[in-house]
Amino acid sequence: MTAEAQESNFFTSKLDFVVNWGRKNSLWPFPYGTACCAIEFMSTESSRYDLSRIGSEYVRFTPRQSDVLAVEGTITYKQAPILKRIYEQLAEPKWVVCMGACATSGGVYDCYCTVPGIDNIIPVDVYIGGCPPRPESFFDAMFDLQNKIMDESYMKQRTERVKEQLEAIKAKTLECKAELAEFSHEKVNEIKAGVGDLKAAAIRKAEFWKENP
Amino acid sequence: MSSDCENQVKEPVVATAEARRAFESSAFACLEKEFGAVRSDKDSWGLTAVIAADKLRDSVLFLKNDPQFQMDMLVDIAGVDYLGFEDYAGPRFAVLYMFKSVYLPAHRLSLKVFVSEADLKVPTISDIYPIANWQEREVFDQFGVIFVGHPDLRRILNHVEFVGNPLRKDYPAHRRQWLSTNDYMLPVLEARLEAKGYKILSRSKEILPNEEEYLTGSIKK
Repeated sequence: MTAEAQESNFFTSKLDFVVNWGRKNSLWPFPYGTACCAIEFMSTESSRYDLSRIGSEYVRFTPRQSDVLAVEGTITYKQAPILKRIYEQLAEPKWVVCMGACATSGGVYDCYCTVPGIDNIIPVDVYIGGCPPRPESFFDAMFDLQNKIMDESYMKQRTERVKEQLEAIKAKTLECKAELAEFSHEKVNEIKAGVGDLKAAAIRKAEFWKENP
Repeated sequence: MSSDCENQVKEPVVATAEARRAFESSAFACLEKEFGAVRSDKDSWGLTAVIAADKLRDSVLFLKNDPQFQMDMLVDIAGVDYLGFEDYAGPRFAVLYMFKSVYLPAHRLSLKVFVSEADLKVPTISDIYPIANWQEREVFDQFGVIFVGHPDLRRILNHVEFVGNPLRKDYPAHRRQWLSTNDYMLPVLEARLEAKGYKILSRSKEILPNEEEYLTGSIKK
């Protein structure tokens, strides 16, 4: 180990730092564009502003290959289950950027058909104001998101996940034990009742043979 | 007729005020004579002819097929709710049909059919103008007016679990209604695939939106 550490291509670091550095510099967005914010997102992606400078190289149109769900535009009640489903299809780790007034609060559409903010449906990491916000705002949101990612701790999350799993396993074990106990009680009672019947039958038989030798 | 058409091709047709007035008077005279139409005094900009619901189809067919008028374009169908309208006594709803002619720009008029709340029925014109299919669905969705004879009268803008008709005046504009499921698209998809010649090996079972199993994990509160 000591000999390896003296090699020139060897460095030590925190695992959290390396994981977060990798995550924050390859945020692939999933554009959920329903209104004019999506047009601003297009110019954010294209060469004048060029979102790929911060590692958002590809815009992926499948939730299974992307990290950031960018919700751009008005979400109606008819649209809400679709958004929820797409959020659930995103693989962990996942973040949500809520772009524009409509997605944040319903905007000017204060009526029967528009969801007043997508935080009624899914958790949101960064909000962007504006109607529609400029590409600079989107960049600002991505930088905020990067800072947020650098504050996350992979190991801590892992510990929490393991804890949760452990608790779930314990709860399940208890449940199974209770079920088993109930089942065995039932079985024992059944057998006891059966034994009583057998006993009565044996007594009847003995009495019969006593009376008719 | 053919010489008229040739003249129209040569000279650009302009919708002058005189042409519009001439069209309005002749069209209304025909509608009044044949279908008992009444001219609405509320429309000071153009011609709105109020017509009885049972005369609607005949008058629309007449306007479309008559070579004098050639109303070959249905611009829109709109519903009106007169609840709480000032100085108004009459049926609560009205359906407005806006027509124009593609080649004769001065030819534009609207037909109005009053619908009472007790009998929300209007004959469909979706077989005369195919675009009326969706427009009538929209009026049905937002006002609850039933178009008799419509091939597919479903909601078009609001979701399947929506209760009520949101553009009625007595619907509170802020009453929001959650939808708990995605639209079930597979039957439609299968029908389209079949129309293209694909064979459906196993047909999907349609799940009703109120089925408990389908709602698990949804956003219904």
